[in-house]
Amino acid sequence: MTGPTEMELHEKEMRQVYGETLVEMAKENPDIVVLEADLMKASGTTVFKQAFPERFVDVGVSEANMIGVAAGLSTLGKVPFCASFTPFASRRVYDQVTISVAYAGRNVKIVGTAPGITTGANGGTHMCFQDLAIMRVMPNMTVLSPSDAYELKSVLNWMARHDGPVYMQLIRGREPKMFGDGYMFSPGKAVALSEGKDVTIVSTGYLTRFAAEAVRILKTKGISSDHLHYPCIKPFDVDTLVNSAGKTGFVITVENQSILGGLGGAVCETLSEYCPVKIKRLGIPDRFGEIGSEEYLFAKHHFGVADIVAAAEEGIR
Amino acid sequence: MVEKTFNREEFDRLAAEFRYIITDIICRSGSGHLGGALSLVEIIITLYWRVMRINPENPGWPDRDRLVISKGHAGPVLYTALAYKGYFPVRELVTLNADGTRLPSHCDMLRTPGIDMTAGSLGQGLSAAAGMALGGRMDRKDFRVFSIVGDGESDEGQIWEAGLFAGHRKLDNLIAITDYNKLQIDGATKDILDLEPLADKWRAFNWDVLEMDGHNWENIYETLGRAVEMKGKPKMIIAHTVKAKGHCVFENKAESHNIKVSDEKTYREFVEKMKVEDFDWPY
Repeated sequence: MTGPTEMELHEKEMRQVYGETLVEMAKENPDIVVLEADLMKASGTTVFKQAFPERFVDVGVSEANMIGVAAGLSTLGKVPFCASFTPFASRRVYDQVTISVAYAGRNVKIVGTAPGITTGANGGTHMCFQDLAIMRVMPNMTVLSPSDAYELKSVLNWMARHDGPVYMQLIRGREPKMFGDGYMFSPGKAVALSEGKDVTIVSTGYLTRFAAEAVRILKTKGISSDHLHYPCIKPFDVDTLVNSAGKTGFVITVENQSILGGLGGAVCETLSEYCPVKIKRLGIPDRFGEIGSEEYLFAKHHFGVADIVAAAEEGIR
Repeated sequence: MVEKTFNREEFDRLAAEFRYIITDIICRSGSGHLGGALSLVEIIITLYWRVMRINPENPGWPDRDRLVISKGHAGPVLYTALAYKGYFPVRELVTLNADGTRLPSHCDMLRTPGIDMTAGSLGQGLSAAAGMALGGRMDRKDFRVFSIVGDGESDEGQIWEAGLFAGHRKLDNLIAITDYNKLQIDGATKDILDLEPLADKWRAFNWDVLEMDGHNWENIYETLGRAVEMKGKPKMIIAHTVKAKGHCVFENKAESHNIKVSDEKTYREFVEKMKVEDFDWPY
């Protein structure tokens, strides 16, 4: 078993929510502009182009230029949202984001779509496992990975209000309803999805729903979990993690990323300094991606629901 | 165009002061990018004294003309112009590269009043300038965006991404200048990575292309004036310049790109002959 079984899927794809939320926000905020690098349909922003053609900029397949143009637009008070596939929105433009955006203090929002294994049939070249890691070591950068449509909408509204650079992972497809209309994103705050005493399970983005499923299964086995969802990888909520680790004494991290440097890295850095406990990191173990189904990749790299359950049982024993 | 008054003697004198100050502040700091600052002296002075609509008392004036020095290492020549224009005290120029300075070797919009864009990692500034030009058009503003790119910098692919973009978008409020001194760090541009035919390349990218002698006052002013008036396409002015122009040791030498000054004797050798008669050091 690799995926959630019980949760109801949201009727809209995440990318549709992205595009529609941008349109909604742009009606209120004339400074919002949207940039694409020939992936408008994949990002879900066609609806924005239709609603605000004069505020929509497709630069063609030139991501570096997209970041620079966004930086220039931001000097005039515009709030640019730039999207591309995750590898091209992060590692391909890493120096442009570092210098023209973060170092220059520009208010530019960068959105990496189809993160990690969710890029599916595009395979290894498009599977980026390091974007959370490389973005979180960039000074001045906020790093986000929302899990469902409600959280995405709230995150986007916060991003538009926040004056500063932000990197956000955007899952493309339909996701289960983890939260609801009343959800309010708080920057720098973890979200406690369940309370327990035996193990702390820390997850973000796409993997949070899988972790939630594992938590339910563990409960049937008599294991109670503190499940902490981190939509905000940076700034990182240290207190919530340290309090939970102090209580359970065992932490599992789960992410759609390399186990090096991302959420697992942030957790290890934090706990080794403030609350050393046993930690198990689940994710991609320092490997490149490859073409394959999510089931295949979960099984190969051992970070699906069954693996989370097994890691908890083993760690507690 | 803004200021029509031009007095050759005054401008020659100003350029000499610029070259002395730039050389001196770089040498005092121990090292720095001399060649690519001295090649821009006449162009920067013409932009700030005769062409650009600016307000030093209000550096963030929304309707001002912008200047993006994409070859960010030319900071010292821009700082000298900004100081003379009153953005900050002239005596502050001597803090170039000092600990905690507002005047770092490469342009930083968060530190220095009057800098419109941070640059230093080559190839990026022209994209930002294109973004400013696009934003100006969106807002129906009539400010102009000037951008200076290096010839060595033009090896970067992003310059040509920005070129394709600005040409496609017909950003005629964007006026770029290539500081074509024909030298880059490792040697002559024709030997390292030849840019020729440079004018044809920019024309092929749907830019209007003009050429000028980047050290001739009248030619610079007249060319900038024509570029500003031309409509329908972004403009690339290829400025034929001399790296380290006017320097007693380094003129037209590739090693002027980043010079080292390790002792007092070297400092005197590089600076003494650059001194300007009857010039009181402002710091």
